[in-house]
Amino acid sequence: MRFLWSTTLKDLRRHRRSPAEFLVWLGVPLLIGSLIILASGGRSGPAPQALVWVADHDDSFVSNFLLTALGQGGHGNPVRSELVSEEEGRSRLGHGKGSALLIIPAGFGEAVLRERPATLQLLTNPAQRILPGIVEEELSVLVDAGFYLHRLFGDELRAMAAGPPAGRHVFDDAFVAALSVRINRLVDRLAGSLSPPLIQLRVEAVEQESEFDFASFALGFLPGILFMGLLFMAQGLGDELWHERQQQTLRRVVASPRSVHVFLAGKLLAGVLMMACMSLVGLCAGYWYFGLPAWTLPLAGAWTICTGILFMTGMTALQVHAASQRAGNILTMVLIFPLMMIGGSFFPFEAMPAWMATVGKLTPNGWALRRLRSILEGNVDLPVVALGFMLLLGLSLVLFLVSARRVRRAFVQG
Amino acid sequence: MIEVEGLRKQFGDLAAVDDVSFMARPGRIFGLLGPNGAGKSTTINCIAGLLKPSRGRVRVLGHDVVTDGPASRRQLGVVPQELALYEDLSARENLAFWGGAYGLGGVLLRSRVDAVLELIGLADRAREPVKNYSGGMKRRLNFGCGLVHEPQVLLLDEPTVGVDPQSRVRLLDLVREQAGAGVCVLYTTHYMEEAEHLCEELAIIDHGCIIAHGTMLELRAMMGERDLVRLTGEFDPAAAGAALGELPGVELVQVETAGLTLAVPEASARLSEIFQALAGAGAQIRGTTLTEPNLESLFIKLTGKELRE
Repeated sequence: MRFLWSTTLKDLRRHRRSPAEFLVWLGVPLLIGSLIILASGGRSGPAPQALVWVADHDDSFVSNFLLTALGQGGHGNPVRSELVSEEEGRSRLGHGKGSALLIIPAGFGEAVLRERPATLQLLTNPAQRILPGIVEEELSVLVDAGFYLHRLFGDELRAMAAGPPAGRHVFDDAFVAALSVRINRLVDRLAGSLSPPLIQLRVEAVEQESEFDFASFALGFLPGILFMGLLFMAQGLGDELWHERQQQTLRRVVASPRSVHVFLAGKLLAGVLMMACMSLVGLCAGYWYFGLPAWTLPLAGAWTICTGILFMTGMTALQVHAASQRAGNILTMVLIFPLMMIGGSFFPFEAMPAWMATVGKLTPNGWALRRLRSILEGNVDLPVVALGFMLLLGLSLVLFLVSARRVRRAFVQG
Repeated sequence: MIEVEGLRKQFGDLAAVDDVSFMARPGRIFGLLGPNGAGKSTTINCIAGLLKPSRGRVRVLGHDVVTDGPASRRQLGVVPQELALYEDLSARENLAFWGGAYGLGGVLLRSRVDAVLELIGLADRAREPVKNYSGGMKRRLNFGCGLVHEPQVLLLDEPTVGVDPQSRVRLLDLVREQAGAGVCVLYTTHYMEEAEHLCEELAIIDHGCIIAHGTMLELRAMMGERDLVRLTGEFDPAAAGAALGELPGVELVQVETAGLTLAVPEASARLSEIFQALAGAGAQIRGTTLTEPNLESLFIKLTGKELRE
């Protein structure tokens, strides 16, 4: 027990004197996480807006009305339209610019007024996922509006479509007056329903049942960034055994009466204490900033540390089975970067394609990350969590024993 | 006490050590002398428990290193050939850690660390990181780490390699002090002068086998008080061998076309006689080296090559 503790203290002293390692382990995940949050827009900055190129072959009163309606509302509107020729619109969309191209065919206005079939063509940008959908939705609403307009003012619209009498360039005054009177009476009849509306909408802000807003984008990254830090630490600490071998201290330990298992356990304990410090600082900051339920903090801390133990024993097992330090580092790096990518450290599972999220959730870090998110959300199913702890620690024990056996039998000899 | 019986260590097809047997006693310095790659470190590693012997038996203070490993290592101090230190820790922290590895703790550990720091002359720089030390200081600390738990058996694997003359003298004095205190010391080296002046008993090892073994007196007797003469030039091996064979007391150790080696009593008085005989055999002599009987000449006599080759 005394040797275990002296090994732990020895490693803690050595790491304290190499603060650059800590900066890398903590700084890289924080930097990557911050960049990803910023690159993804985070929760600040202007709202995204769909830009629709419109090729208007009709150039009628109706097509102009459609164009205005599509871009109405100024900066608050999620859709903005810009008139272009069809050729230019296709070219811009082909270069990935804009969300969609709307082609209004010639004769569209007359077809709408006479309530005849007409086709609008909407080409969307496949590189965008959400904004073209918004454009399609808004266009559908406008098309529906045309239908209802006909139900209300069908006769008037058809009369307008027929145009002025033969030999005249404009409608005569009697026609305009009669049309105005009909519209006025219709509006008057509907006014009881439209103003004020019979269906009243009462807007009320409802307090969320949960004490926190887990949907917050940044909060979605907290477990991922923590696990990224743990993976980097585990990689660095696993590499430590190569240093022990190179400076011959590992041979000296093996030549002593103490067991290699105790020595490795001491090193593991030092690593766990460092991981615990990092995890608890990160978690406490996250709990304070996002206002998470404090009662889950001890459980979240324990889960993070146990996950760190699994990472560290796993990385150590890989390192001691590698042919050289270089091979060990390549092996672990080749493993941890894809794990971080699909295991939820770089991108939340919600932002991944479905197949990738499914695979990512099956990786060790992805699995542990989902459990941690559940704990942070306050969804603690004790039997499931207890089983998870047993799994983490059991697997860590197996990896530890495999590493110790390898170190004693082959690794120390070089 | 270290007892090695019929030790063999095989790596694949290569036998690094084969049928090595010797016994090192308490209070004495036993030397294992041989060129690089002869099998000295493999032997030490088998004794220290770092390698498992392929065959044979090794006992330290009566404990078998294979079947009773921890007990055999408890009273064993190992000073490896390469520095085995934590360079970012201080000398005091290194000594405390290695003392802890042998079960020391508390007041006893602190007093032993202080004593060893005094012994190796690093007390005044005990708190500095080892990476700031000179090569000689690191060597002394490396030695001290093997002593901190007061072992009864000390394995020293070429502890003076790469050490400046001053530190070397200091280290050798420390080794003598340990033997004087009753510690059984096994010392490997390829420096024959070092072995000659330090060790009471020696085994000369080459290609994994012990080729000579005994006290210094016994080994000198093997040379028969004969000087070693090395001649370089051009020789007809057969003719030179025949010509020298007629000279009484001259033993031909090695003969090649470019040089030959002879063992001759009082060689300086007989050089002209030898030169005449070789000239008659058509030899052309360009260089002569005369060596008085020592471990090097014994090694040459036994193996036909120099120790440092």
